[in-house]
Amino acid sequence: MSIYAVNKVCRDALHDPVWREALKRDPKSAIAPLPLSAEERSALLNGDVAWLYEQGAHPFLLAYLTRWELFGLTVSLYSERIRAAREPAGRE
Amino acid sequence: MAEIVAAIGVPHTPNFPALVAKQGPDCPTARLYAEVAKHLHAAKPDVLVIYTDDHFNTFFLDNFPIFAVGIADATSGPNDQTAMPSYRVAVLASLASHLRAKAIAAGFDLSLAQAFELDHSIMVPLHFLTPDMAIPIVPFFINGLAPPLPTAQRCYALGKAVSAAIADWPQDARVAVVGSGSFSLEIGGPRIPPGERAGTPDPEWVKHVQEHIEHGRIAELVAEATPARLARAGNIGGELLNWIAMLGAVDGRRPAFIAPEIEHGHAYAAWRLD
Repeated sequence: MSIYAVNKVCRDALHDPVWREALKRDPKSAIAPLPLSAEERSALLNGDVAWLYEQGAHPFLLAYLTRWELFGLTVSLYSERIRAAREPAGRE
Repeated sequence: MAEIVAAIGVPHTPNFPALVAKQGPDCPTARLYAEVAKHLHAAKPDVLVIYTDDHFNTFFLDNFPIFAVGIADATSGPNDQTAMPSYRVAVLASLASHLRAKAIAAGFDLSLAQAFELDHSIMVPLHFLTPDMAIPIVPFFINGLAPPLPTAQRCYALGKAVSAAIADWPQDARVAVVGSGSFSLEIGGPRIPPGERAGTPDPEWVKHVQEHIEHGRIAELVAEATPARLARAGNIGGELLNWIAMLGAVDGRRPAFIAPEIEHGHAYAAWRLD
């Protein structure tokens, strides 16, 4: 269960300017050391926020990525993708 | 003995300080906050007991409490890059400790935070209500953002227990109780509008909640604010729980002032209880 690490990637983008710069500069290398599944790693690098949301990543945190267009996520692209997401299992 | 002299409910939208700095004191946000502040200061409170939801800033998912209270001599904020001045504000640790002990004795297992900063959910209201930071606070944190949320019944009961504990505090103090948050708001989830990162998915619920509060129909509000109903109001819809805890101090009395901003998903309200 490494969706925690996905949430932390997003949260630290707000709180840690050094981490944010690393994500901007070379996202693949930045997240390489993190304990992510192959699917999570790929979804982050592809900006697949709908899939991450469906796995339980918190949307409030995912939306931080648009502030700096991390993983290519402009607001319009983020919005288009997340609006197609299904509700994650078990979330009410 | 301590006495609850006022209750207020406000939104805490992070862009409000910058918006009002740009638009000036006649813009709707400034006027609505000023109206609430007028009622608050007329009650001459010595301390503000505030119910809010941390947005993964004070706490994170490594350790995220359902209910917590901050007990320290002082705190500061915002700690979440909100575009606003930074403030330091006193915490009334003696009252906070009393309220925590009494609430635990009443069956509410409140987590303890002794070293913490605050995000926009408290600092934005304080920026408008007490910009001189002259009134100390007691911050209560309710999980309104990370499902499963506590039930509305539980939050209302917490608000009642805290109100009873305030009345039981042996020191003379005039206490105001604050609920901070929106009624309908979606941030970053599937119900945001096209091309946006946030929206108000359920304006009808905002109107409905506002009418319940305006007419003192708190039992009805608590009964209707189920987890599923709050979720339909948006992924930030759980912030209503902060208001519901605050309403534990109000006992069905009607507000002296209430004004919704339906399209923005929130309202402003004030009760004089002295």
